Amino acid sequence: MIAIDQTQSWLDQHSLTQFSEPAWLSAQRAQALSRFEKIGLPGVRDEQWRYTNLRKLKSQALSVSSPANLGIELSSSNFVRLVFVDGHFDADHSSSIDQSGVHLSSLKHALDNQADLLETHFGASLPQDAHGFTELNTAFSQDGFVLHVAKNTAVDQIIEVVFVSQSKQSLSHTRNLIIAEANSQCTVVERHIGVPDAVYLSNTVTEVIAGDNAIVDHYKIQQESDEAFHMGAAFVKQANGSQVSNHNVALSGLVTRNDIVSDLLGGGAHMEMNGLVLGQGRQHIDNHTQVNHLVANCTSDEYYKSILDDQSRSVFRGRIIVAQDAQQTNADQQNNNLLLSDKAEADTKPQLEIYADDVKCSHGATVGQLDQTSLFYLKSRGINAGSARALLTFAFANEVIDRIKVDSIKNELTQLIAGELLSGLEDLV
Amino acid sequence: MLEIKNLHASVFDTPILKGINLSVNAGEVHAIMGPNGSGKSTLSNVIAGRDGYDITEGSIDYLGKDLSELEADERACEGIFLAFQYPVEIPGVSNMAMLKAAINSMRKYRGEDEISAGDFLKLIREKAALVEMKQEFLKRSVNEGFSGGEKKRNEILQMAMLEPKLALLDETDSGLDIDALKIVSDGVNALRAPDRAMVVVTHYQRLLDHIVPDYVHVLADGKIVKSGDKSLALELEEKGYNWIEGLQKAS
Repeated sequence: MIAIDQTQSWLDQHSLTQFSEPAWLSAQRAQALSRFEKIGLPGVRDEQWRYTNLRKLKSQALSVSSPANLGIELSSSNFVRLVFVDGHFDADHSSSIDQSGVHLSSLKHALDNQADLLETHFGASLPQDAHGFTELNTAFSQDGFVLHVAKNTAVDQIIEVVFVSQSKQSLSHTRNLIIAEANSQCTVVERHIGVPDAVYLSNTVTEVIAGDNAIVDHYKIQQESDEAFHMGAAFVKQANGSQVSNHNVALSGLVTRNDIVSDLLGGGAHMEMNGLVLGQGRQHIDNHTQVNHLVANCTSDEYYKSILDDQSRSVFRGRIIVAQDAQQTNADQQNNNLLLSDKAEADTKPQLEIYADDVKCSHGATVGQLDQTSLFYLKSRGINAGSARALLTFAFANEVIDRIKVDSIKNELTQLIAGELLSGLEDLV
Repeated sequence: MLEIKNLHASVFDTPILKGINLSVNAGEVHAIMGPNGSGKSTLSNVIAGRDGYDITEGSIDYLGKDLSELEADERACEGIFLAFQYPVEIPGVSNMAMLKAAINSMRKYRGEDEISAGDFLKLIREKAALVEMKQEFLKRSVNEGFSGGEKKRNEILQMAMLEPKLALLDETDSGLDIDALKIVSDGVNALRAPDRAMVVVTHYQRLLDHIVPDYVHVLADGKIVKSGDKSLALELEEKGYNWIEGLQKAS
């Protein structure tokens, strides 16, 4: 059977959507659409997509779902929580934050109430060479969340945003903004989940604007259905002395692609990129990261680890660009891959482009298997083969897990990988 | 407790052990000495059940069980402990976490409940004192960045925690200075018990000044060529391993 490319039908679907919104946004959407019409969706001939075949996605007949009631039970949470269902804001399952200087709402709500703020920032972080999914997102994003933290304000709660995909063959584009003014601080956890076995495309873009000395910890936990397509992007702009961390955890989904780009625009800015991939079945996870050191005296640390079982496959491209004026840059990048099956595959591509002459940059990439001697060591202590493997797998992942500052996420990932082995010892591992 | 009969074993298809006979009873300490390449470490690894160390002939009977039918972890749960010559570093797993996993695996094997967090902490503090190991080491990753002496002490700590019936100490003295040797030997001696046997594998006699064996066996080219009491170790120290070659030729 020859698969039919359905992407034109997606556009036809979208053209039915009527947005009533400010003129500047309509103009941005029109521009994005016209760019998309030129570039289309990426294909394997595109160097940045050569390992990620979208044939299966392009042959899916997808459509935008109407707002519907949340059809699954969400686990309880101590965090302030916003919920989106198939890309639509679900006010019934969302809570609000009542803190002076902190505005958290849906994008639609913010367009009505914080129009000037959005006009300044919406789309401003996107790279010039954004790919087709990002353009589609700008053109058709239904909704998303906007967090604005005023200067000198530390958000006193963790903010969790849950994106649920529940309708079969649905197509959702969510667009989010985190605007952290000078000397502010916030922690945002994005969770992307789906009902089991549902086929859908979740295409999400988050823009992060960190003002002078702002501290932003941004987490994304991707737990889409095993048949889902997840296209995610985070575009970050950092001013003087800002510290941003992006924690990117991919646990499921059929095809996942993440583009994470940070522009270090002010001296003393620090970017941490922390990534963990757990691949099973035929999952395909493609992480493209880019740190642009544009001015002097900035630092970046990047740690990406993949654990790949069955026939899963991960792709990592880590690009670090040090501009001519970005002297005294200190950039470190590590990508380590653990293959648990002889059919799993990891492709890793560190890319350093250094135009300054007084910088410290390091990178390393490894692909390996569990160490047999370590396995025997653990077995000789009475630990059965399965638990020994789990413990060593956890040990491999722990360097990344350890950088996670939200305890509940840390514990969740520890449990997921090590099972009950380490329960009650979370503080000691 | 341990009955080894005509044991032949290969390491990844290379024959190393060529007919070992050895009988070890509860409460006894046996020393296995021999030159490099004689098969000392192979013997302890075969008993512990390391992959790639295969029995090609003969048998190992442990407490009435044929060891070849048990996996390495099952042997450990049955009470066999191997202190490694080169303890493995496991970055990312703390000493505590590994030991708790080990103790609970063994308890599960025996059909017992898991150890409580409180009991575990009490136990590990008590045993750490035995080998003079600081608390901070317990929270550190297994052997990561440990000196040679610290690694060997950690092996003895694990042995103390897991309370084996049969302890195999593989070249426990290698890489130890005098002070560390004393701490490690004191730890081992404290664990000597009427219901526990130990097999101490060593190249040098000096360890046996500290851990005094009941029996000494000399291994050469995969066979035990001479057995005796502790005086044999001294004789060997005096005459050197060349003496053994003479014995081999004579036999």
